[in-house]
Amino acid sequence: MDRRDLIKLSAGAALTAKAAGAHRFFTGDEFAVVEELTEAIIPADEKSGGAKAARVADYIDKRLAEAFDASERDQWRSGLKPFVAAAAPDRAAMLDRLAAANDLFFLTLKKATIKAYYTSRIGIHDDLDYQGNVYQSGDYAGKLP
Amino acid sequence: MLDEVHEPSAHVDLSVTYDAVIVGSGAAGGMAAHVLTSHGMKVLLLEAGKKLPIEKELRSMEWPYDHPRRGDMPPDDRAITRNEYTIRKPPYAKGSPYRHVFSYVQGWAGSDYSKNIVVDEKDHPYTGTNFAWVRARTFGGKTAIWGRLALRLSDYDFQAASRDGYGENWPIRYADIEPYYDRVDNYLGISGLKENLPYLPDSRFQRPNKLTHAEILFRRSLEKRGRLITPYRAGVTTDGLKHNKYRSKCFGRGACDRRAGGCDIHAAFDSPTGLIYPAWDTGNLTVRTNATVYEITVDKNSGKASGVSFIDTESKKTYQAKAKVVVLGASTLESARLMLLSKSTQHPNGIGNSSNHVGHNFCEHLMGPGVTGIVKSLVGAPKTLDDGRPGGFYLPRFRNLTEKRSDYIRGYGYEGEAGSHMFPDHAYGIPGYGAAFKKTVRDRQGAMITMGAFGEVLARYENYVDLDPRMKDRWGVPVLRFHIEFGDNERAMARDMADSAKEMFEDAGIEVTGVDRDVLTPGWSIHELGTARMGTDPKKSVLNAFQQSHDVKNLFVVDGSSHVSASNQNPTWTIMALCWRSCDYLADRFKKGEL
Repeated sequence: MDRRDLIKLSAGAALTAKAAGAHRFFTGDEFAVVEELTEAIIPADEKSGGAKAARVADYIDKRLAEAFDASERDQWRSGLKPFVAAAAPDRAAMLDRLAAANDLFFLTLKKATIKAYYTSRIGIHDDLDYQGNVYQSGDYAGKLP
Repeated sequence: MLDEVHEPSAHVDLSVTYDAVIVGSGAAGGMAAHVLTSHGMKVLLLEAGKKLPIEKELRSMEWPYDHPRRGDMPPDDRAITRNEYTIRKPPYAKGSPYRHVFSYVQGWAGSDYSKNIVVDEKDHPYTGTNFAWVRARTFGGKTAIWGRLALRLSDYDFQAASRDGYGENWPIRYADIEPYYDRVDNYLGISGLKENLPYLPDSRFQRPNKLTHAEILFRRSLEKRGRLITPYRAGVTTDGLKHNKYRSKCFGRGACDRRAGGCDIHAAFDSPTGLIYPAWDTGNLTVRTNATVYEITVDKNSGKASGVSFIDTESKKTYQAKAKVVVLGASTLESARLMLLSKSTQHPNGIGNSSNHVGHNFCEHLMGPGVTGIVKSLVGAPKTLDDGRPGGFYLPRFRNLTEKRSDYIRGYGYEGEAGSHMFPDHAYGIPGYGAAFKKTVRDRQGAMITMGAFGEVLARYENYVDLDPRMKDRWGVPVLRFHIEFGDNERAMARDMADSAKEMFEDAGIEVTGVDRDVLTPGWSIHELGTARMGTDPKKSVLNAFQQSHDVKNLFVVDGSSHVSASNQNPTWTIMALCWRSCDYLADRFKKGEL
């Protein structure tokens, strides 16, 4: 992605946020925590942007807002509660404890992050260097035995 | 691609008597339409589902991030999960608050691309034992989303009973069907590599798909056991078909791995573009969709079939269509249901059912056991272009061919693949989180290899379907009740499937990360077969070797219900080859006035 794309993308993101009037399901505090936690799960590194750049929290917010089963929303809200209440420096240790315990909320968070990140432009193209979904002429894909 | 020429109308002429009425527009019904119209017969084709703007449904090239739910269905729709099929009993959608409930068919991207193709379980309930019944009530049937693996049977299959003493032989030999396999290959296109295996005959292949790096390594390792993996034998035209303007050759360009898939350039075979449109263009075919046939009508004097009664799925009005020959291609279970529904004084147990074998001898393919692993030499390697293939590899049967096992009879093969896909499924299985997690997902992308077995489920009289005495579907038609369970042979085979898979991977130096041992719910393979089997003895079979009813000579059943045993090869190519053969016979007898 070059600089011009980046500017276009940020402008687009700003527009979307403005049009939607903040978040659909999460409160401002919750959204900030979801951004932080998903970024902790898939962080930016030297290869590619992380969950925050891929707008994973925004995708989760949209899906929860329209979720048919209200218990999904309840699970997220109650799972996020202790994180929202905690002081920022404590959150990393809390996430660690949940991960070590294979806590259900951690698994839900991780699963949603994987789905959202690896179906995003950043996940598919920047991080995994996926080269398919293109027209190929002649021989393609692999070798003959 | 707006196609106005092939738009079915609800206003078909029902005042005339057609030469033949065909029920169903999938692989079997489509092939029957193709063959009968090519012989000049005037044919009415009835399809219970609607005709969808299929390219708009499938959207094979759409990127996940361009879809509002990244491929998932709308929030008030859902698919039945693997767990539900295991724990609960059908009808699975009963009492569900969701607007639509679909069968399990989902790709990694969810099933927004296939949801309109499969039935809504709320409208189409069934009862009895656990069964994952995937039905596609749409023009083209399940060929709109089929897996495309196109394999031949051999005399190891047709004469299986002679080899191990179990069950019945087929009333045909390979030599009888071989010319028709050739015709299907040439007319529809199939890609693959010649391997000269007597138990898995080669087709008339177009250019094969290639194997990925990891798959080549695996193939080499298998050589010392005398086994092999071969490029997926896909019912896909890779060189193009000069005689069919509705299909394109494969450009390796879609997200073919996004199952349940479908191919919106129609390089993969589907019944409408492969068979029905060309038949339509002869001027001999009339097509009516939204037409659910609920009875085969009978002539009171002769006891022969006189046509069918159908209900319009939208208006719920009922109609009669008259025909000199009735051809069923409604699918294995729906054709059996229709025969059982068609009770008359001449046929009190249902038409063509004097043997009481209709609905019985059900067979299919056992699924579940499989293995996943990492090809270590590829971890962290630069990514390659591996997607766009219609399929990965096929590992043919190797059991009970020359040696004889003591714990089970018959065999199984594996379908598998390796390489970089659009979505890293392996991410879900990697523990932890953070920078190390992310790097591991990335490093393993393209290094994962996986395969799952498809094995023969033995045909047994005790595995059957009948009509539920109480429950009806949305249109008031009695539904099927299942009495289907796996037995000891299947359980022993499943153990070996998992053990052998693990052993072969380990032999190849692949680090095994997961071994599946659980058998999936019956029906999962979507390879239902055998509810109206062929045979020479009218007391033990429903159809003769030309899929003609022993009891009613102008009734033919040309779908998978006619199969005597399931073998372990995917059935679609055999369904079409058999159907072509039977319809040649049908047209010949029809012209001679013998039906």
